[in-house]
Amino acid sequence: MSVMLTKFESKSNRVKGLAFHPTQPLLAAALHNGSVQLWNYRMGVLVDRFDEHEGPVRGVAFHPSRALLATGGDDYKIKVWDIRPQNRRCLFTLHGHLDYVRTVQFHHEMPWILSCSDDQTIRIWNSTSRQCIAVLTGHSHYVMSAQFHPKEDLVVSASMDQTVRVWDISGLRKGSPNSGGPGGVGGNGPGNFETFDNFSTVKYVLEGHDRGVNYAMFHPTLPLIISAGDDRVIKIWRMSETKAWEVDSCRGHFNNVSSALFHPKHELIVSCGEDKTVRVWDLAKRTAIQTFRREHDRFWVLAAHPNLNLFAAGHDNGLIVFKLERERPAFSVHQDTLYYVRDKYVRAYDFTNGSDIGLLSVRKFGSPYMPPRTLSFNPAERAVILTISSDNGMYELTNLPQQAQGEVKDSSVDGKKGSGQCAIFVARNRFAVLNKATQLIEVRDLANSVVKSIKPPVQTNEVFYGGTACLILSSTTSVVLYDIQQQKTIAEVNSPPVKYVVWSADGAMVALMSKHTITIANKTFTQHSMIHETIRIKSGAWDDAGVFIYSTLNHVKYCLPQGDHGVICTLDNPVYLTRVKGKTVYCLDRSARPRTITFDPTEYRFKLALLKNNYEEMLYIIRTSTLLGQSIISYLQQKGFPEIALHFVQDTNTRFELAIECGNLDVAMETAKTINRPECWDRLAQQALKQGNHKIVEKAYQQTKNFDKLSFLYLATGSADKLSKMQKIADARGDPMSRFHNALYAGDVEARIAVLRDVGLHPLAYITAKTNGLEELASEILEAAGLTQADADEDVPPYGPSTLKTPPVVTPSTDLIWPSIPQGENFFDRALANGQLEGGVEPAYVNGDAAVSASSALDAWAKEEEIHEELETEEGGWELDADEEEFEPAAEAIEAAVEEEEELGAGATPGVSETELWIRNSPLAADHVAAGSFDTAMQLLNRQLGIANFVLLKPLFLSIYRSSHTYLSPVASLPPLKLHVRRNPTESSPSRVLPVAARSLQSIRSELVEGYRHVSGNRLADAQSTFRSVLQALLLVVLSSDDEAKQWRDTVTAAREYLLGVSIELERRRVVEEEPDNVRRNLELAAYFTQCELQPPHMQIALRSAIGAFAKANNQAHAARFAKRLLELKPDPKIVAQARQRIAAGDRNPRNAVDISYDEFTPFEICAATYTPIYKGSASVQCPYTHAAYLPQFKGALDPLTNLAEIGAAASGLPAPWS
Amino acid sequence: MESSELYHVKQQFILGAFKALTALELPDASSPDYAPTLLYKARSYIALNDTTSALQLIPSDTEDITLKAAASLARSVAASNLSDQEAVLEELRDFSVEIESEDFEGSEKEKAVVRVLAGTAFARAGEVEEALETLGTETEDLEAVAIIVQIYLSINRPDLAKKQFERSKRWAEDDLLLQLIESNIGLVTGKDAYLNTSSFYTEQIANPSLSSPHLLTARGVTRILRNEIQEAKSDLEESLAQQKDDVEALAAFVVAAGLGGTKPSEAEELWLRLEKEHPNHPLVVDVTQKAELFDESVAKFPVPPAAATVA
Repeated sequence: MSVMLTKFESKSNRVKGLAFHPTQPLLAAALHNGSVQLWNYRMGVLVDRFDEHEGPVRGVAFHPSRALLATGGDDYKIKVWDIRPQNRRCLFTLHGHLDYVRTVQFHHEMPWILSCSDDQTIRIWNSTSRQCIAVLTGHSHYVMSAQFHPKEDLVVSASMDQTVRVWDISGLRKGSPNSGGPGGVGGNGPGNFETFDNFSTVKYVLEGHDRGVNYAMFHPTLPLIISAGDDRVIKIWRMSETKAWEVDSCRGHFNNVSSALFHPKHELIVSCGEDKTVRVWDLAKRTAIQTFRREHDRFWVLAAHPNLNLFAAGHDNGLIVFKLERERPAFSVHQDTLYYVRDKYVRAYDFTNGSDIGLLSVRKFGSPYMPPRTLSFNPAERAVILTISSDNGMYELTNLPQQAQGEVKDSSVDGKKGSGQCAIFVARNRFAVLNKATQLIEVRDLANSVVKSIKPPVQTNEVFYGGTACLILSSTTSVVLYDIQQQKTIAEVNSPPVKYVVWSADGAMVALMSKHTITIANKTFTQHSMIHETIRIKSGAWDDAGVFIYSTLNHVKYCLPQGDHGVICTLDNPVYLTRVKGKTVYCLDRSARPRTITFDPTEYRFKLALLKNNYEEMLYIIRTSTLLGQSIISYLQQKGFPEIALHFVQDTNTRFELAIECGNLDVAMETAKTINRPECWDRLAQQALKQGNHKIVEKAYQQTKNFDKLSFLYLATGSADKLSKMQKIADARGDPMSRFHNALYAGDVEARIAVLRDVGLHPLAYITAKTNGLEELASEILEAAGLTQADADEDVPPYGPSTLKTPPVVTPSTDLIWPSIPQGENFFDRALANGQLEGGVEPAYVNGDAAVSASSALDAWAKEEEIHEELETEEGGWELDADEEEFEPAAEAIEAAVEEEEELGAGATPGVSETELWIRNSPLAADHVAAGSFDTAMQLLNRQLGIANFVLLKPLFLSIYRSSHTYLSPVASLPPLKLHVRRNPTESSPSRVLPVAARSLQSIRSELVEGYRHVSGNRLADAQSTFRSVLQALLLVVLSSDDEAKQWRDTVTAAREYLLGVSIELERRRVVEEEPDNVRRNLELAAYFTQCELQPPHMQIALRSAIGAFAKANNQAHAARFAKRLLELKPDPKIVAQARQRIAAGDRNPRNAVDISYDEFTPFEICAATYTPIYKGSASVQCPYTHAAYLPQFKGALDPLTNLAEIGAAASGLPAPWS
Repeated sequence: MESSELYHVKQQFILGAFKALTALELPDASSPDYAPTLLYKARSYIALNDTTSALQLIPSDTEDITLKAAASLARSVAASNLSDQEAVLEELRDFSVEIESEDFEGSEKEKAVVRVLAGTAFARAGEVEEALETLGTETEDLEAVAIIVQIYLSINRPDLAKKQFERSKRWAEDDLLLQLIESNIGLVTGKDAYLNTSSFYTEQIANPSLSSPHLLTARGVTRILRNEIQEAKSDLEESLAQQKDDVEALAAFVVAAGLGGTKPSEAEELWLRLEKEHPNHPLVVDVTQKAELFDESVAKFPVPPAAATVA
């Protein structure tokens, strides 16, 4: 009994036709209601449906290589569809059949479509010309199926006339049928049938079925035919060149058999029928192996995937996709070796050298049709236990041979067997076997005798190794960690049924995998976290650093110990991960072949470093990878590291959010100013209020014109003068209520009275005056209002003068800010400050060694501690002398602006500007310059090429910036629109737009040629400045391919060599001019000049100049050497003659008058600062940009060649965003 | 329905043929076209930054609220300092309030014009919200939509701009201005490689009923955006030949020169000319700011000691 594993099911109308896509996880289903569904069976989603047929659709087929689908229906039509989602449509319809179309099929190489119909014909259509090219007649009843032979020009058909026929269609391939037949193109009518018969003849008529035949097909490789009929029999036929005969029948279906297929790979037959069963048969023995029954649904159609172990069956109420056997190979990893089972052989695969050898055959273990389910390896005894689910579950314990032998050992020789669903090693000489039915776990020794029996505390479906002397028991709702010795439960964790368990290498962590969840737990199950996946989880393996890498049906993902997870890469087909090492995932594919996948671990390494506070590592990652994405920022923010995220963010809005979140008021203030929106100021005010920084609160209130709160703030801080100012402002605004408030706060009685009088509340004004003892004023009010004392006092009880006084300000806190703990300068502030990343080496990637990570984390903290102290002494924390902010009630403040801002047109928030997109989309300095983000551009140049002196680049920066933006005012009198010039105008997606490349490599190379001309024309000073400018411009070139990057480096090198040569020659001329006696230096420099890599014409100049100088100094031997080199360049005849003279002179007098430091026989580089040789093997440092060599003492200095880079600085090189 | 003369005037105005409009003879004062034509003429002067002529053109004692608003806009464009500016904006605010009041007797059209003029002034002053408020995002006046769309584009919200455009498509049929709006959106988003904008301007340049160097400039700018630098340069040169001192064309020419074909020294010369003649052009202002930014940024990078001193 094998297991039928359902992968996908759908409910629908009756399914009459099915077809698998050859490469994609797509399945087409033709339905009785006229619709054709396209399912993605892996994701379980309906991808598309085609509804143009009228009446049931029976035939459906995919094109073997193109995105085409053919369908045939009861409307007599065959339709061909383009199934690409972007242009899905019916391409054409083939008319001609006169009754229901039963099946359709594409030919595997010719543009042919085969169809059969109840009109008793089989037709072949040319899908290019869309013509019927052959009509095969002969059947005397409905033709139920017709199939091409997979290789030969044959067709097999099955018919209700109880025959199966094989047709020879080789004639069709030879001539163009339409020109051959007299009927020509129009030959579709019934009267013209005979015209086609020349091309297709009946080869065999197979008689044997007692009822109509529903289906017949060829074997993919053998000369066999299978047929299925209403006589409930499946028949196998063999054919030779000359005849065909019946071989055998498979009996067992107790109703009509709808379809029977050869298994594409194994010697199996799969059939289905109206008896509601799907059956599997052994092709060799013709015996039934397995039956799968459904309660209510009759099966109508069956389809096999051409390559995968996958079948689909259509029934009355939908379809099922299933596989016959489990694909997951049984495997176990020990150190560097993977032990696994393929094709019923236990094999060992060595991760280090890729050797893969068969060790043990298990062919005789369990059902021959089924692979073993699990493998447990015992390194001490070099033994394996395999389990298999056939025969109700059994296990076998065998020793592996020490070495691979010529003849592979068979397990049946000395294997010890027993029954049980799970069997695993639990100790060197003990293994545990679970019997599910009796719920008993037996612990056995290596002699297979029971030493202990355990009654598990929960209903156990599987057992796994649980660490020393422990078992992990999986029940339907939980996993239990169970101690074998003490026979008790140590811990229990709720989880859906756990199917696989993976331990980390050091045994500290375990991953418990269920169908859709993974529980990551420590070894005592005391801490655990769970991840949910919507897609089925297939396998997993631990990274050495404690990251769990797992695979789902279509992804490889990672999971950190605390439960964070993310995608590493996508998969075309499921794989079974066995091990993860560095950037490589080792896995077994569906056919159990070892494979490797390389991936980029940056993202999870970064997150892990963050979790472990391993700042060194984080910094290293930031510096070397292009990690600066939105996702990482939101991750940092979400995980409560806004202060770190702040370092990555350019976007002002995000910066503001982050600054508010981590309470960094300075940054918040700065960004709020740029954003300048009321909500921002409000939030800033709230945050500042929390921190007691009322200066910022004040500023924020002023910005939002929040007069009420502002007044109260001044009251709270005892700022009397500001309060009186507020009164004036209120007066100017014409807001009596506010004036009154401010007067009240300020304790200014006169002002209060004045307000009351101004608004006409004379009685109140009077009483206020009166109660405050301002009799004179009181009577004046009365008088002005034309009232008498009696009018005012009528209902009012007499008040004495108020005894309350405005409380005095005890501590004027106007200038004091609530002290806050100075924020220590954080690691990143230091590291990233001004883009000056300390040159560093990659910290060793912490390889699961907890001690290392802990200590480095401690170091990081310790460093922070130190800095805290330093800062505390520096900064008092009391900003006593902060500048007083004068609040000027500007004229516009009085306007209704405040109210208007309240009711803004919705959604008028500014969006992300194009320049910001550019910055986000590119890691190239040139693009950042174009975006106007000079700061980040400089950081990039510094990081990538070690550039430290930017002053020279100013004109370049500005001209690039200027060329990347243009303006146009399309609407009269409005300010012009700022438009941004892109280098990829066809791209308008915000995530891909990039600025125009202002300087092209080509244009710079032409400038280089200009420099060459200066050299030839002996304008050396001009040449020097040209080469310098070339090297400057090269810094800001946009490269788009590896090829260009190589050209770029070549150009840099050429410019450097010329610049060096020209500089040496200029120095030599200076020496000749200013120190005429220093012949030695003169000669040395002349010699070095000839060592620069120049082009032949320029090299000739250098050599001739050297020859002249050396000859003059009477260094004949040297001069002759130069002359010889000159000859190698094949100069003009005239020069050749001179050179020969020089050589002759050298031969006559092979001596050198002046001794110079020049050894042309040892390769050397020239120090570009001192112009002295650095011979091969001596120490030197490089310019990170041009790679010019320098003596070691110049490390850290500005390179004198270009004046741009810091000699010996760390540089990551140019990024390659195109790859 | 407007007369064909007025339609033509309007078309010229929309397509930026301001020079041609300022040279226009006004129709007879009694003609119904008189006031609208006068208004377009005045607005053309304003668009050319010739506010003096605009103010001269508008009778100071006019009762027509649209002309009064135009005069305010002219003053606002001319205003050199903040307080002048603010006073003028205040006038426009009053007009906006006036047209909303119930006893206002003018037509819907007049109201729309006042809103457009006020909105333009607000947008110029950077009062984005106020401009949008005044114009009303539900308006059915295409000129207002054009301004709204440009405002949205200028604050990087092409999504909102598109929404406005889609909304307008429903009632505005295929008005020229609507096409211009669509072209403007394309200019910013770069959809289909600026195809829409480019064909719009190419079509309008071929329009026999008017010629305007502005169209050439606009197509030149579009071609810059399409990375067709040589073609852009020829457009811009032609535009400059027709209108020697046009800032817009000159600024675009500077950009085109910087992007290819021209020697760096010539490009630099053009830039210096632009910088000298038009110190207030946004490109000049922006680059000047960036120059300051550069100096600030440079200061953050300590320059290592010269090699000579180390040795």
